[in-house]
Amino acid sequence: MSDIFGTMSAAQIHQGLASKEFSAAEMTDAILSGIDAADKSIHAFLQVTPDLAHEAAQKIDQAIASGDFESMGPLAGVPCAYKDNMNLRDTHTTCASKMLENYVSPFTATCVQDTLDAGCIPVGKTNMDEFAFGSTTESSVFGPTKNPWDQTRVPGGSSGGSAAAVAAGMVPVALGSDTGGSIRQPAGFCGVVGVKPTYGVVSRYGVVAFGSSLDQVGPFARNVHDAAEMLNAIQGRDPKDCTSQQSAKDFTANLDEGVKGMKVGVVPAFMESEGLAPEVKNAIEAAAKHLEDAGAELVEIELPNAKAAISAYYVLGPCEAFSNLARFDSVRYGYCDEGHKTLAEQYEASRAKGFGAEAKRRIMLGSYLLSANEYHNYYYPAQQIRTLITQDYQRAFEKVDVILGPVSPCTAFKLGEITDPATMYLFDMFTVPVNISGNGGMSVPLGLGKDSSMPVGAQLICPAFGDENMFRVAAELERCYGSNTVAPDFASAAQANASAGANASADGSASAAVSADDQKGGTR
Amino acid sequence: MKKYVSESDVADMAEYARIGLSDEELPKMTADLNGIIDELQVIRQYDLTGVTPTFHPIGDLSNVSRGDEVKPGLTHDEALKNAPKTEDGGFVVPSILGGEK
Amino acid sequence: MISLEDAMKEWEPVIGLECHIELTSLDSKMFCSCKNEHGDAPNTNVCPVCLGMPGALPSPNKEAIKDIVLTGLATNCDIEKHTMFYRKGYMYPDMAKNFQITQGPKAFCMRGHLDLTIDAPAANERVDIPEAQGKDGSYTTHIGIHLIHLEEDAAKMVHVGGREGRIEGATHSIIDYNRAGTPLMELVTEPEMHTPEEARRFMEKLREIVLALGISDCSMENGSMRADGNVSLRRRGTEKLGTKTELKNINSFKNLHDGLAFEIRRQAEILNEGATVLQETRHYDPSTKHTIPMRTKETAADYRMFPDPDLAPFDLSDEFIDEVRAMLPELPDQKAERYQKDWGLSSYDARNLVKDPTITAFFEACMKQKDAQKLVKPLANLLINDVAQLGNEVEDFTLGEGPLTPERAVSLVGMVDAQDISTKQMYEVLKFIVDEDKDPATIVKEHGMKQVSDTSALGAVVDKVIADNPDKVAAYKGGKTGLLGFFMGQCMKALKGQGNPRALNELLRQKLQ
Repeated sequence: MSDIFGTMSAAQIHQGLASKEFSAAEMTDAILSGIDAADKSIHAFLQVTPDLAHEAAQKIDQAIASGDFESMGPLAGVPCAYKDNMNLRDTHTTCASKMLENYVSPFTATCVQDTLDAGCIPVGKTNMDEFAFGSTTESSVFGPTKNPWDQTRVPGGSSGGSAAAVAAGMVPVALGSDTGGSIRQPAGFCGVVGVKPTYGVVSRYGVVAFGSSLDQVGPFARNVHDAAEMLNAIQGRDPKDCTSQQSAKDFTANLDEGVKGMKVGVVPAFMESEGLAPEVKNAIEAAAKHLEDAGAELVEIELPNAKAAISAYYVLGPCEAFSNLARFDSVRYGYCDEGHKTLAEQYEASRAKGFGAEAKRRIMLGSYLLSANEYHNYYYPAQQIRTLITQDYQRAFEKVDVILGPVSPCTAFKLGEITDPATMYLFDMFTVPVNISGNGGMSVPLGLGKDSSMPVGAQLICPAFGDENMFRVAAELERCYGSNTVAPDFASAAQANASAGANASADGSASAAVSADDQKGGTR
Repeated sequence: MKKYVSESDVADMAEYARIGLSDEELPKMTADLNGIIDELQVIRQYDLTGVTPTFHPIGDLSNVSRGDEVKPGLTHDEALKNAPKTEDGGFVVPSILGGEK
Repeated sequence: MISLEDAMKEWEPVIGLECHIELTSLDSKMFCSCKNEHGDAPNTNVCPVCLGMPGALPSPNKEAIKDIVLTGLATNCDIEKHTMFYRKGYMYPDMAKNFQITQGPKAFCMRGHLDLTIDAPAANERVDIPEAQGKDGSYTTHIGIHLIHLEEDAAKMVHVGGREGRIEGATHSIIDYNRAGTPLMELVTEPEMHTPEEARRFMEKLREIVLALGISDCSMENGSMRADGNVSLRRRGTEKLGTKTELKNINSFKNLHDGLAFEIRRQAEILNEGATVLQETRHYDPSTKHTIPMRTKETAADYRMFPDPDLAPFDLSDEFIDEVRAMLPELPDQKAERYQKDWGLSSYDARNLVKDPTITAFFEACMKQKDAQKLVKPLANLLINDVAQLGNEVEDFTLGEGPLTPERAVSLVGMVDAQDISTKQMYEVLKFIVDEDKDPATIVKEHGMKQVSDTSALGAVVDKVIADNPDKVAAYKGGKTGLLGFFMGQCMKALKGQGNPRALNELLRQKLQ
């Protein structure tokens, strides 16, 4: 039973409820037991919220009984998980840190509330890199999340729990946050759709801040349409977030239009990057070919300042993080190392023990870069580089409607494989320029890589506030590569039938679906 | 590797950021930071003369404010619920100056 | 210790002020919708934003921006059209986020000034002769305002276990975040004041203006107006600034004056001995009239300032600034000028009538009464001197409320003018008005206070006094004219103090010829 619901799309669940094939209560029970079973191996969840889920399911069942369900939107009755940096009143918001292990939030984030208002059923909070610092979910103080496609590999990060929960069929949709790739990269590693909207489309209120000028909330889903519905629900100006902007679009509107006449930019310099795995390169080239075949025009563009993006990002992110994390001081909430005679001792001990290594590194780095002596060497020029990168995109989008490229230089790596922070940072090279400029970007599955047999994602980048462009192209790619794919270990026979379209391999050769057995050969 | 910060600089930074660092942690943190700062040098090699910084990636958005209206906040219990230590309805911190010196 | 006068002979003080003013008339806080009220039970006017809870974001109060622009326009500032809020980082529990949202190098208001008039005798603190010294011994000086910026106030802390609630020796502290995030303006002057009196007058005048704008109650007592003063000395005739000390958290005009005066004397003694002044923050203790060094919270002066990414920049339009300009009320200086021009008041009287909006409003209500125009000078005296004295003597006396109405005030000075009562009697009648809530005419009648001006009645008394004192009369006629005072006294005694002094004086002179 749980397999059936776990592998259904959000739209299918909503439809099933509408046609009274099942009740919200039985669906919710099945989803919760599915999480229970799958999460023993994946560890995508830090907290499951059965009480809230049952309460929400009861309301949905009442609405179905009274006939009100019909007037509710397409997310009514859809189970959703939230990254654990999002506040949901009366539940824990841990940010996967010892610092907030026991923190119980007194309020709800706007994006979370929007999904609840849309009728979503909150099933729990998902694992992440501590305070979203990382690209593997390994820095969670509660232990790493495993990639559902290969449990010896990382799911990516920092929103690794949300990506893995969707990929393993535990939930049809989830929310994550993306500061330098934290939605797109795990979506790519886990073979699901992940959207980082244009900065300002979604309210950040109630989402624990990492880099305030870079953070943006967005959805994970197993198909483009579900992701679009989620963004429809969470978009728009929030009086509580001064950087959020007016947005009331229907991102599902143009999904069936195809890409005929669209101009898709490709960046030759990206494709020639050192460290770009051949299987990823081949997959992106094949995707470009598919789009061309579908009627899009490929246009070569340049983003000359993207090479400085990593450096600028690792200035801006840590500076903002240093300031945003100053509030964790053991006074109003959070970990407090008791028994110290002076405030300074309590501060130093609490923050030393409450924060993990990567958090400490970034706080220290930010404190250095913002110091009066260094401000004009790093922070200020990084903001000037932000101007140049933004102008690069503006110029590019005079010529094209969307830019296609890789999400990450490689597919998911092994747990514990990369330990040097500076090396790890380089894996964000394709995702961070988008956060710096504020443009939207999303990751769309392209099937499995030829060499690693792990999912490869394509990144689509859109003009600022032109997010519908990337959805339209994503839908076309989905028509080529299939949708609603659940990682094989978690997909049942029932799912195989439910899933629309056959798996295609990432190099574009037709119907060369890689079987689960092939992928898992000898890993366990 | 180039050295941008010494162990003593890092100790100062830690004190400023109020993060206790043990003597054992200091060398690794210093090495890590030097490794990271080395990766940041790209931006120092840029000619940025005349380039206006973009502090907010929000286009022309400005003057965002709200009306002077009172709305309910947290109850006293909600406000103090997560506090490690409270007294007389307030949050408690240990001695700030650490007694007379 | 050296006197202020002696210290000032050789050394020229250079004084700058930082004035903090809470925008008490706003309903909500600066960056959240909590009630802007910090007198309530601890931590009851708080929310995720002002408690710095994870995920909370600031949203600025539009009216606060209007208020600061209003203040800038009223203090001759340039309004900076493009500005940003910054984060000023420091780890201290009075700021929940461990940074304060304030403004950077560009504030909403820049490059303003106030012109101060310093009256004698306080004007004498200035030993060099200011250029614009007036006939009445006053002088006017121009004090630059560096900037006025908008920020959020800090939480209140109660220190437990130390002496008199001081932070020194405290075992722990309790924090109340009701005040955290309340709207606060900070005005920074140029270091252009040269006597403690100029500093006091600057603060007073700033208060007069802000009260007229109606944006703060400016209570030094309750802390809604606070001042930090910094002072350094340089040898007269030299340019280079000396080392300054800062006096923090001064809570009255008198303490500002006296604290700065003490610092000037203290620094002069140090410099006279050839020693050097230590740059430090000091606390003025009014009970000992001394300043003592303060232990401060900050370990570093590097605040890691950077533009707050959570807040959009501000681009104020000309239309907005003009709209705010149109809201400017008549300011104290303009009022004073009008009083001089329309009613012929002296500069001194006019300036003193506009110092306090309550007095100003009362005065203007008086001037609407019939016949008030010709009584303007005694009315001014009544309000500047007698009413002030009454305020000191009578508990709970508030001008504009209770028995003393503008009608009664005009009628009171009218009786003096008509010589119905003497100026001395006026103050007594004033007190009776407040006590008995009756018109002055009734009081004078009931208390039998009417002044005797009738020549025949006075003549009878004068004749009797002359008849009773033949020796003194002879002496007077022999040249001891100083005895006139004796005769006046005798007559007044007989008249129970109600004789018209001028008429008596005249009669005595005549009859003693």
